[in-house]
Amino acid sequence: MRIGLPRALIFYYYYPLWKSFFENLGMDVVVSDVTSKELIEKGIKVTVPEICVPIKIFNGHVINLLSKNVDYVFIPRFVSIDRGEWFCPKFIGLPDLVKYTIEEAKERILTIDIKGKREDTCNWRNYRPLCNILHVSEKQLKKALKNASEYWHQFRQYSMEGFTIEEAMQICDNKLTRNQILSQRSSEITIGLLGYVYNIYDPFVSMDIIPKMRSMGVNIITFEMLKEEEMSRQLPRKSKNIYWTFSKKIHQSARVFMKERNVDGLIHVTAFGCGPDSIVGKMIELDSDVYQKPFMTIRVDEHTGESHLITRVEAFVDMIKRKKYSEKRGEIA
Amino acid sequence: MNIYIGIDVGSVSTNAVAINEDGDVVFEQYIRTNGQPIESVKESLKTLEKALEGKPYKVKGAGTTGSGRQLAGIMIGADIIKNEITAHAAATVHFHPDVRTIFEIGGQDSKIIIIKDKMVVDFSMNTVCAAGTGSFLDHQAERLGIPIQEFGDLALTAKKNVRIAGRCTVFAESDMIAKQQYGFSKAEIIKGLCDALVRNYINNLGRGKSLHPPFVFQGGVAANKGIKAAFEREIGHEVIVPKYYNVMGAIGAALLAKEHVEKYGMKTSFRGFDVAEYNFTPTTIDCNGCANSCEVIKVDLNGKTVAMWGDKCGRWANSLMG
Repeated sequence: MRIGLPRALIFYYYYPLWKSFFENLGMDVVVSDVTSKELIEKGIKVTVPEICVPIKIFNGHVINLLSKNVDYVFIPRFVSIDRGEWFCPKFIGLPDLVKYTIEEAKERILTIDIKGKREDTCNWRNYRPLCNILHVSEKQLKKALKNASEYWHQFRQYSMEGFTIEEAMQICDNKLTRNQILSQRSSEITIGLLGYVYNIYDPFVSMDIIPKMRSMGVNIITFEMLKEEEMSRQLPRKSKNIYWTFSKKIHQSARVFMKERNVDGLIHVTAFGCGPDSIVGKMIELDSDVYQKPFMTIRVDEHTGESHLITRVEAFVDMIKRKKYSEKRGEIA
Repeated sequence: MNIYIGIDVGSVSTNAVAINEDGDVVFEQYIRTNGQPIESVKESLKTLEKALEGKPYKVKGAGTTGSGRQLAGIMIGADIIKNEITAHAAATVHFHPDVRTIFEIGGQDSKIIIIKDKMVVDFSMNTVCAAGTGSFLDHQAERLGIPIQEFGDLALTAKKNVRIAGRCTVFAESDMIAKQQYGFSKAEIIKGLCDALVRNYINNLGRGKSLHPPFVFQGGVAANKGIKAAFEREIGHEVIVPKYYNVMGAIGAALLAKEHVEKYGMKTSFRGFDVAEYNFTPTTIDCNGCANSCEVIKVDLNGKTVAMWGDKCGRWANSLMG
């Protein structure tokens, strides 16, 4: 059976898990193409105009998968992966959203509810509904989940060593070694790049911001490179907790970057119209004043021009580099 | 005399300057781009060459900035190609070393730059909205039938205040019509427009930033006395308009070029004034190598391709190397 995984939204965080899981069950895993202009335009066409661009992109990927003759498109409903925390409503309603947007997808959506307190989502009860549909036994399912979880933790480990998600995936697939990647790196300054995985790693949304900044001599760190303990000790539970899991991670990691990793600056990449980000972005901005770190927000939608993004990023990097050099030369200037 | 050339190719104007070793401006020119960046750069170079005629000089460096910086940089063989923020800040700090806040309003974009100890520490740029830029004024001046050059002075003659909704050029226009029907004079309406532009600018770009004096106001719109006055009213402090307010980006590009060649002790890559006679042809190719359908910009010099950019994958950009 061919299972399609849309290369969008939370895919960037869980791909190794799902790949390993479905392959362990003897399925063929088909991933949609890398986001392109054509793909996103197809998504925009079918989606309501007001929604954020990541959802439009997601629909584009579903359409792309349907053209690849998959039996199912896997669209889990992410409800919660930690106590008292939730996902953005669009994630909670994602399978329904796709069902009523893309007529041809209706019969081919493979969905389960992700609930519980495990970040690896691998509580077998979450996945049990798949047994009947995919004709596998509970025993097979549990075994596949165990292997998938291990594989995913290995992938997370690579991230926490400082590799980007793309790099971590390549190491997992044995396409590149850690040393091969590290030997190509050189940097003068470090910037904390904040944003959800589907904004940072989608080449269309972020306009390849990571390779662009690296070519300017910038070392990048992102939230998924931090360990859970490192993040959670930043913001002890308060009466008002940020109850969106990944928004909370972004906020906490911003603190770690400023307080402990001594980054030279922070850039927040956010999609126009993102509700949680309107709160989290402001909170980071306030923190950046306290810790005296340069902070810039890049807001993107489907109309964003690349030249604007480049000008801003270039100016931001220039600003930090010039300041650093003058300090190095001992000039108060 | 050793000189450094700076060229700022913007959406509305193309500015060229030459500075000497001391950073003094020896030549400056502000012309309208009129959608023809190549022609305007050539024209600037011709005028500069003529202005230098008879004087012994040597071009030691060249830099470009502005939205057309890439194209202009390739044309003239610039030593550096810099973004507008860095260029503007470099020029302002050169003339006003104690500056803390720079207001820059150009034809289609506007920026605010915060400086501390001569260094840029923060900035913001307008995103998709042009309501706080020169184009907004140009458009309204045309509607009122008043040449843009007289706009500022007229605003200063207003006797009464009128509040115009300046959040958006489209709504500002309907609001202006309403206020005209209420019987406000042209001068008052124009003053209202200046206030609206500044309010918009400060709200959009200055939001969340603490603005400290000295304030320096530059860019093409700084010629407008009405806007300067509106800024002073809005922030309650004197605003300095520098002598070379409309070519500051170009000066910055020249200063940065000078800094660059001095730092690395290199010889300039400036192609020389003959560039004005060269045949540059930029063309756009719709690449159909993949689903991204990138618009690739290709520049030919005398029939030979010298630069390509705009492709996501580097297929074209890299094809010229090696």
